[in-house]
Amino acid sequence: MASTFAAVFEIVSFGAIIVLVVLGLGIIASMMGIFNFAQGEFVLLGAYVTYLAYAHGAPVWVGMVAAPFVVGALGFVLEALIIRRFYAAPIVAMLGTYALGLIIRESVRGLIGGFYLTVPEPIGGSIDLGSVHISAWRFTIIVITLVVMGGCYLLLARTSFGLRVRATLENPALARASGISTPLIYGATFAFGAALAGLAGALIVPVFSLFADLGIRFLIQGFVAVMVGGVGSFIGPVAGAGVIGTLSAALPWVMSPVVADVLVFVLAIAFIKFRPQGLIAGKGV
Amino acid sequence: MSGAREAVARISEDVVTGEGLPAARAPVQQASAGWKVLPIVEGLVLMIALVLPWVLQDYLTVFATRVVILALFALSFDLVWGYAGIMSFGQALFFGAAGYGVALLARDLNVTSILLILPAGTLIGLTASLLLGGFLLLGRYPSSVIFVSLGTLTGSYAADRLARGWYYLGGQNGIPSIPPLTLGSYEFEEGPIYYYMVLGILVVVYLLCRFLVRSQFGLALAGLRENEQRIAFFGYKAQHLKAIIFAVGGTIAGLAGSLYAFHEGFVWPNMLGVVFSTQVVLYVLFGGSGTLIGAVIGTVIIEGVSFWLSDNYRDVWPIILGVLLLLVIMFRPLGLVSFVLGERERVGSFGKAPKSKETGHAAP
Repeated sequence: MASTFAAVFEIVSFGAIIVLVVLGLGIIASMMGIFNFAQGEFVLLGAYVTYLAYAHGAPVWVGMVAAPFVVGALGFVLEALIIRRFYAAPIVAMLGTYALGLIIRESVRGLIGGFYLTVPEPIGGSIDLGSVHISAWRFTIIVITLVVMGGCYLLLARTSFGLRVRATLENPALARASGISTPLIYGATFAFGAALAGLAGALIVPVFSLFADLGIRFLIQGFVAVMVGGVGSFIGPVAGAGVIGTLSAALPWVMSPVVADVLVFVLAIAFIKFRPQGLIAGKGV
Repeated sequence: MSGAREAVARISEDVVTGEGLPAARAPVQQASAGWKVLPIVEGLVLMIALVLPWVLQDYLTVFATRVVILALFALSFDLVWGYAGIMSFGQALFFGAAGYGVALLARDLNVTSILLILPAGTLIGLTASLLLGGFLLLGRYPSSVIFVSLGTLTGSYAADRLARGWYYLGGQNGIPSIPPLTLGSYEFEEGPIYYYMVLGILVVVYLLCRFLVRSQFGLALAGLRENEQRIAFFGYKAQHLKAIIFAVGGTIAGLAGSLYAFHEGFVWPNMLGVVFSTQVVLYVLFGGSGTLIGAVIGTVIIEGVSFWLSDNYRDVWPIILGVLLLLVIMFRPLGLVSFVLGERERVGSFGKAPKSKETGHAAP
């Protein structure tokens, strides 16, 4: 019983991490039609900012709060300078963002060297539930993921900003004619997606420690999750991330990890092949 | 149909209308009448390649051999992306699968004869690409470009993970110490002989590819790249054409992979994975996709410069590479070759002038 509970917690906590990483990716893919290959590097940057703050003596949580803003600001600048040119061509956008990601990743690699740098958890210790001990920080990640998810949903579904974003997605020409500044909206959306990635990186760095290939680890999983969930809505990628995250954490409990690892990808691609619209089809939120 | 599919369809439509494709954006420069630049460039490259072993030291010849094999690999990607517009982000899957296949043949069955190894590697590449291409490209609905590119990427990533975790394939370390290729009792050691053999293969494959892309089949492919829908309306089975060229690309990648495995003497998981897959994308984009010589030149330049810089600037080079790539994508979508090669020549002409009976070899 206790071990089952521990396993479930393990699975849920990994699922939450994947959801957190995919949120930004999904928003950019759904709202802008761009598969951002640099997203993994935004995660890495978030982790790096947290590490920097910690290395300079600030409490870890300061870095974690700063990370989304720093990465979001960078995202805004990059969108204005580079990403903007790629909207017409999704494949070129993939390649361009890949190049961007390469630059960021190798720069960070140059800065930290080939090391695995650890950052302590801001909330250490464990929560005891009877005989079960669960990591307090992982529990916090689950809670924050839920809060962020809810916040994003409200932002997109209930605020006037969200309405503008959806209008721009649905019909850019009409949105422009209605007086919405679509370039600004695109910039803000991209920055928002980047900021979410930064937050994800900041939160997971105590769990995975900081190394240059931190982002790549999640990138392909993230893409698959977005496709499985369905491009075009907010909730689709989140659902896909939940499924992929849960599967990749749960399958290794019942079969050899190597097979499980590959099986998740094979299942996901087969699923997308036969249901291209994804789990949850639909536009908007 | 659902909204999400519309979204994806909208994305793919943008691509097939060619708005974003490099070809459409290219500035048309120098319409030099009469002068053909392409054969001159090709001839120059071939001449340089032929005299190379005489001017280089031995260890550099070994390096040059590796570059030639990689150029063969780049050619396979260029066919698929540059000519047919299929973004194969997992081309290394076929390269690495063939490499692993022939490495296993050599390790477990002691097969090292070149007459068996190269056909075996080629066959592995063909089979793997037929299976993956058939699954990703064929079907009731045409697949979106995004799906194909992510599908190939995922396939390659999954294969990488599998090779890393599977003890039989040597795990992280791969399969070391593959014996040299043999022909009868002769052993191909690294060096000028191996170099010329590989160069010969590259030239033959290059000519075959050149014939292919300049045939009526190549014309259909170019149409596919520029406007898939229109090609479909003409009655071509666009998906079949794509699957065929994907398999041709996979076959060449398999050939390159088996040569690479025996040349390096070992295979390791990166050969299958994202690292090599993206590497080959870099070569082709850099040199110029949609021209066969561009793929070769891109490989030579990137590998050459990275070899040259790796002593002193090992850390900075990947960053420079990223910046250069970004600049090329943004400002020179047709790659370096477009500095000397005019638009008219890049597009070229196809096959013989059509006679009265225009069935086209292409429509399967």
